[in-house]
Amino acid sequence: MKYRVVQIEQSILRKNAALADALRARFAATHTLVVNLLSSPGSGKTTLLQETLARTCDRYRVGVLVGDQATDNDARRLSQYGAPVRQITTAAECRLDADMIGKALEDWGAGPFDVLFIENVGNLICPAEYDLGEDVRVVVFSVTEGEDKPLKYPLAFNTSHVVAMTKMDIAQAVGFDRDAAYASIRQVNPGVTVVELSARTGAGMDDWIALIERHIAAKAPPREASLR
Amino acid sequence: MHELSVALNLLEGVQETALRDGIERILAVHVRVGALSGIAPDALKFSWELATAGTVAADSALRIEDVPLVVFCERCAAERAPRAASGLVCPSCGSACPTIVRGRELQLVAMEVPE
Repeated sequence: MKYRVVQIEQSILRKNAALADALRARFAATHTLVVNLLSSPGSGKTTLLQETLARTCDRYRVGVLVGDQATDNDARRLSQYGAPVRQITTAAECRLDADMIGKALEDWGAGPFDVLFIENVGNLICPAEYDLGEDVRVVVFSVTEGEDKPLKYPLAFNTSHVVAMTKMDIAQAVGFDRDAAYASIRQVNPGVTVVELSARTGAGMDDWIALIERHIAAKAPPREASLR
Repeated sequence: MHELSVALNLLEGVQETALRDGIERILAVHVRVGALSGIAPDALKFSWELATAGTVAADSALRIEDVPLVVFCERCAAERAPRAASGLVCPSCGSACPTIVRGRELQLVAMEVPE
């Protein structure tokens, strides 16, 4: 069949990009810091968030959106700290997208927040592709996962601002090679901030909270920022 | 793993253009898929077939151009293609190259329609 070619040249994910920009504008207006947490399943995102809520809820207006393909177990674990928590059950989808965040915010009615944590679906491939309008992208990397994980999932590590190295309390027991892990991280993102911590023992949690607080202060309205 | 939702996003872009230009049938759609995009071409083709059934793009071919990963090496001051599974490392000088030049593409390029 004779045919003609229609040139288009547009991103397949442009709708997500536009929705993410709209979210960014909305969070800028409310001075809400948005932190998007990515990781493989079982790296300790929820435990890290629990300990983060325990250390921030008394001083800040904190909200949590948590994505999972099924169950609301994580939301229930997180809801005991007094901060509003909303589960997004993604069913077949392996990641959160900007549309899901927008819709969840619409019928949630909570906020505005000083900081909104978004716990993404446990998966290091798909969530890396989707901008959620976040200020800070954190990849949670536990010592049980294998030091070469950043090389296997370069986009997730390359697009993150912070690596939270979790479960440091068992690093020795599992034979974690810290130098090799750092080398892998630096190979995909030389300038990234790395925070070593154990949410269970509390080691390193002060550094993590200080980092979050610096970002909250940077996003706060100018007057408040100067008071802190 | 998210090929079906990518196929649906792609279909949306195709349908918008078809509607705008009064196109009633689409023979083929050309896309560019980067090596770091996390998309498996075969799974995307399979999803495309499912997503387009009963639409203006039904039975259209999906032509995928694979885009290999290319980074910018500051030490070499040149674009380099890292070896597979080596992270973002220059194959010539071994330095880390966090600037991705190509390889993240998920781009709707063009479509073929009857004359």
